[in-house]
This record gives sequence, structure tokens and C-alpha cells, in this order.
Amino acid sequence: MTSQDPLPARRSTLPYNPRSEYRRRAGFLGSIGRGAIAWVYGASALFGTLGLALTSFATPGRAAARTVRAVTLSQILFTGVQAVSLVSVIGLLIGATIVIQTSLMVPGADGDLLGKIVVAVVLRELSPLITAIIVAGRSGTAIATELGNMKVSGEILALTSLGIDTPRFIVWPRLVASVLSVVALMVYFSFVAVMASAVLGQAVLGPSPAELRSGIARALTLHDLVLFVAKGVGLGTIVGWIACHYGLLVKSSPTEVPKQASAAVVRMLLGAVMYDFALTVVFYWLVGPPLR
Amino acid sequence: MKLGLELDHVSFRYGDLWVFRELTHTLPMGGNLVVIGENGVGKSTLLYLCAGLTQASTGNVYLSGHAPNPTRPSELFRNGVRRGFVFYAGGLLSNATALGNVTLALRYHADVLGLSESQIDRRARDQLTELRVAQTDFHALPAHLSVGVRRRVSLARALALTPNFLFLDDPDSNLDTQTKHLVYELLEQKRDDPAVTLLVTTTSPELVERLGVPPHELAHGYLMARI
Repeated sequence: MTSQDPLPARRSTLPYNPRSEYRRRAGFLGSIGRGAIAWVYGASALFGTLGLALTSFATPGRAAARTVRAVTLSQILFTGVQAVSLVSVIGLLIGATIVIQTSLMVPGADGDLLGKIVVAVVLRELSPLITAIIVAGRSGTAIATELGNMKVSGEILALTSLGIDTPRFIVWPRLVASVLSVVALMVYFSFVAVMASAVLGQAVLGPSPAELRSGIARALTLHDLVLFVAKGVGLGTIVGWIACHYGLLVKSSPTEVPKQASAAVVRMLLGAVMYDFALTVVFYWLVGPPLR
Repeated sequence: MKLGLELDHVSFRYGDLWVFRELTHTLPMGGNLVVIGENGVGKSTLLYLCAGLTQASTGNVYLSGHAPNPTRPSELFRNGVRRGFVFYAGGLLSNATALGNVTLALRYHADVLGLSESQIDRRARDQLTELRVAQTDFHALPAHLSVGVRRRVSLARALALTPNFLFLDDPDSNLDTQTKHLVYELLEQKRDDPAVTLLVTTTSPELVERLGVPPHELAHGYLMARI
């Protein structure tokens, strides 16, 4: 070999191809095509995560089901029980805020009107959305980060090598815990907010808690129960599902973990608001305006 | 002889970079394969492919005639394919104790293995003790264990399932002499066990010599027998 000879070509020792990071330029149509393909891949992977988790429920194995139940309970403890104090504070302040706003806009509002406002604003809108935001911010980020770190440290691969199904052992418990926690926390949030409205309402506006209670009872319909459950289950699913999906998207680098956790939060919030909006539109289209 | 591992025209790539192309290899049940090669040639990737932890870009991998599915590994377990995998970095669950790491899979597959809770606990403790993990370390998290102990816990976890396929990725790296010899003795036992198909990747001439299995060298995407 002379000094002019190039170095012998050697296979890269990197576990990825650095050249693939630099994409060849595409024209306008090419960019649209690439974007569309990436979107289809992303969407199919996202729905694949949910599909695998849901179908994993039917996988045989009594012992596996017992193990997964234990994991689910610990997730409920973290996502639901440990969030109670935060939900209490926020529920209290939201209930109080509603009364202050009502007293400023409709001075001397009676129990009937306050009841309608509490149902329309707190029970139908803020309770589901704020609870979902709390769970997404508190547990969703934790789930995405935890699963991302598990991917980086090879724990997910280790589980697979032990014959443990990731969708069943990892995703399903977090999904179930998220749904149950959001529904339970919504009920609790509504209770705290209504209590705060009742106490402050009497002090600021005049109607007694009994008048407020009967106002709420008159404003509530059976459709509200359906809306409440649909919002709770849907928002809980969105939070648990997206958090797990983005956590598991991490490949091998620790720097990916915060990126995916951040992406998870953004998408959880976006998904939650879109879902909440869609259900609200359908609800009022079916039931009619909240204040008549 | 019953077929253990079968690589059928397996190719694998990271992005545009092909690591293997059209790799075909078979190993009978109870056979041994020792893979050597420079750092970065894809030994670990090959081991992941063989164990069915990573999906091949093209081609098929069969373990005892079953194609592993990375999203449903329990199916393989139910079909009698029990894999034990010792990762280079341990791969222990960080939020479970040493004992918890060993009992997890035993608990998950307790109905298949026919184990009661007390049998699971006893088997895990026996396996850890056999690998000379101190009882005081049983309830420690992996982060609080030394590299050598972590490797032994990882081995105990893999062996507790009484695997019929044992995959070891550089099993003697970063170990002290005493632990190394413990691992060698154990691998010699598994090498001679007709019920266990053993696959080892290593860069250690000492391990190759101790195992006495003619190694295969992985280079430029090809697996070649070293004579």
C-alpha cells in the first residue's frame, strides 16, 4: 500500500447508519409524499400499540393475568390514589372560580341558574378535561419517561427474552390504570368543585347548598351520565395509550427519552382537547343548549 | 437429530446499512455455537436475531421449528421454547430487587411451569445461591449491586426458567477472576447438557478455549467456521 492509497473500506461499527440522518432533498411533491408515508407509518404504529394491548387481554395464562393484575394495582395507586391531593386543590379552586365569575356576570343568581352553570361548566367540561390534564402531566410523562428508560437500558428486551409480552405486561396495566384513575378522579374532582361552589355560592350569591343541589339535579339529564363515562373512559385511554406508545418509541439513546416524553405530553393534551371538543359538540347537538 | 436453531436466509439492516445478508445456519437441539468477531461486527445483533428479540429484515428464524414473535413471546414459551438470555449490560429490571428479577418470569409462567408460590421463591433463592449471590443482596436493587453480582443475577434469572435455549452476550466481560471461573464452569455444564442449545458471543480467547467449541467468526456480514 502506498501513501496515496485510501484507507481500506471498513464496515461502520455504529448501530445505525449516520448517513440516513441526512435525507436527500425532495421536491415539493416528494416532500408531500414523504410526509404522507411517515404519517401513515406513525398512525399505524400508534393504533398498533393500542390494538396489541387490547388483544393481549385475551392471551391465555392465568398466572400471567395474576401478575398483570398486581402491576395494574400498583399503577392505579400511582396514577389515581397519589393524585388525589392535587385534584382536591384544583377542584376546590375551580369550584370557587365558577362562583366568583357567576357573581360578577349575574349578580344575585339563584340556585337554579348556578346549578345549570355548575353542570354545564364543571361536570360536563372542566372535570373531564382538567382531570385528564392532571393525569397526563403527572402520570403520562412519568409513564413515557419510565418506558423510554426501560427501552434504553434493555429492560423491555429482557422481558421479551423471558417470554413476557410487553403489550400485556407493560401497556395494558397502564392503560387500565389510566382509564380507572381518570374516571375516579373525575368523580372526585366534580364532588370537590360542587362542594366549593355550594359553600362559596351561599356566601357570595345567596342560594343555600340545598337550592344549589336541587338546581344541579334539575339541570342533570341521563345523557350527562353517558357523556361523563364516555369522556372519562376516552380521555383515560388517550392518556395511557399515548404515554405508552411514545415511551416505547425510544430506541437506544438516553437523549431520546426527554424528546419522546415531551412529544407524548403534547399529543396527549392535543388528543384530550380534540376528543373532549368532539364529544361536547355531539352532546349538545343531541341534547340542546345548556341554558334555557 | 431434532433441529434447534434455524436461520433461513436472514438479512438485517440498520437504516441503509446491511449488517447481515442472506445468513443461513442451523444448529441441532443441544448444539453449541460460539461466535467471535471484532467489536461492532454485529455479534449482539446476531444473538438478538437468533433469540427472536429482533425481527430480521428478510428471512426467517426458527427455534425448535417455531418462528418467534417479539410482541407475543409468551406463545413461544407455551410451545415449549424457553429462552434464557444474558445481556451484555445485564438488562435487569431497575425497579425490582435481585430476587424480584428472578421470580418475575417464574411467576408470569407459573401455570406453564406448574410452580406454586413457595416453589417459585425456593427456586429463585436456590438459583441465586448457586451463582454465589450473597443473601444480603437478594433484596437489593440492581443499581446497588456491583457489575459482577448483576451479571450473576442476570444469569440466575435466565437459568431459573430451565431454558432449552441459552443465549449469552459476552458473558465474561468486566468480571473478576473468581466470577469468570464461576461463569465458565456453568457454561461448561450447559455445553454438555443435551437439552440446552447454547449460543455465546465473545471476544475472549479464554472463554473460547474453556468451552472447547470450534468458534465461528462473524465478519463483513458472514458467519464462517474457524478451523
